[in-house]
Amino acid sequence: MADTILRVENLKKDFGTLPVIDGWNLELAKEERIAMIGPSGCGKTTFLKIIADLDRNFSGNIERNFERVGFVFQEPRLIPWISVMENLTFVSSDEDKIIFFLKAMRLEGFENYLPSQLSGGMKQRVNLVRALIVDPEILILDEPFASLDMPVKFAIIADINALRNQKRFAIIMITHDTKEAISMADRVLILSKRPSKIVEDVKIDLQEGERDISNTEFIKIESILMKRIFSI
Amino acid sequence: MKILLGILIFLIVWQVFSVVLNVPLILPSPYLTFESLFHLAGQSDTYQAILSTVWKSLLVLLTVIAVGIPVGFFMGINENVYEIFRPAVTVIQAVPVISWLALVIFVWGIGWKGPVVIGFLSLLPISIFTTAAGVRSTDKNLIEMAKVYKVPKVKIVKAIYLGSLVPFIFSTVEVIIGDVWKVIVVAEYLCGSSGIGVLISWARQYVDVPRIYALTIITVALGIASERVAKMAFRKILGKWQIPS
Repeated sequence: MADTILRVENLKKDFGTLPVIDGWNLELAKEERIAMIGPSGCGKTTFLKIIADLDRNFSGNIERNFERVGFVFQEPRLIPWISVMENLTFVSSDEDKIIFFLKAMRLEGFENYLPSQLSGGMKQRVNLVRALIVDPEILILDEPFASLDMPVKFAIIADINALRNQKRFAIIMITHDTKEAISMADRVLILSKRPSKIVEDVKIDLQEGERDISNTEFIKIESILMKRIFSI
Repeated sequence: MKILLGILIFLIVWQVFSVVLNVPLILPSPYLTFESLFHLAGQSDTYQAILSTVWKSLLVLLTVIAVGIPVGFFMGINENVYEIFRPAVTVIQAVPVISWLALVIFVWGIGWKGPVVIGFLSLLPISIFTTAAGVRSTDKNLIEMAKVYKVPKVKIVKAIYLGSLVPFIFSTVEVIIGDVWKVIVVAEYLCGSSGIGVLISWARQYVDVPRIYALTIITVALGIASERVAKMAFRKILGKWQIPS
């Protein structure tokens, strides 16, 4: 299907004698956003590495209909001894684009700062800018907000949503937080314990304006999602 | 202030021991030693010897860096290269100076080449292994990040590997600076034609023990001064590497 950006068929992965991923099947359409929620150690990060072609030691089929991928790592992974600007030009030489995304992510004026001079939230924004300047067809987010406090987290999510509505890239994200998932995804996949399976595929039927944690519909969906998670 | 106090205590202990022992051939008093030191300070031969030791030490330092860092870099970046070179470097490290000495005297006789070669061979393994350890300790997460974004290898080497290597290079240089004087002076003593080691050798022949102590003080002072200068310079350059990310 031309509209499918990623197709995963019967994906299995183990670490020696330890089976981790047990036959995952999923499709991600172009411009679609999915979030994955599951217990620790169920292979979520491993799955993202497989998608990003960092891990080829698996069985099953992966069809990638994209070339450019943006990866927002759990930790910022910025090169500590070079400036923010140099960290960004490390992956793309398009300075106009870098400046555009720095502005969009409220990092104007911090181009010459070293990573150690930035707050945790700012580092994560740089991590995000780095993922966006490569003009990704798919944006992979590996629990990027885990270490951030709530206001910073939702400010960044709002910025990502705004940019995504302009650039229309697909998103695949991992999170432990149902609020993050509902704020950013069209579908939420719920995973079981290791060896993990995709046990639920929950559609998030919200308009963009309703993706606000205080919205009544948002709260309803969150409670449905929580029930499903706890029933597993 | 504390350093001056430390030096004062050291001199007092030295004086006490020299009086108690009362064998100037083993432990001359600080007075005799400093008298000899002032005498040496008035002789042009002393400065020529210092200059000779300094340039040999610098030559060793530069050659060890020029050879050790690239070899260590390739050993660190590639496991196969590491395993191929490791035995040879370990052998060089384990060979006693006396064995190099025999070889050096046989090939070049007495002169400046012997001390330089011995210094080079003695310090090269430190430089290689420290550099290799630096490369091997490079943050694998950064390498993974670069792979995701398909960053060219040259750029990865320049920005990530060399960047993470900088503190190791400086600590290697610091260690070498601390050791090079000792190694060169010993090698000069054994097979040199000029330098502080040669002056010590002559003083030994004349059983001039205060002079040996005075020349030792000069060597120690050179070592400490060069280490301090290097540390001060590196602290400035290394500022951004010392801040955790």
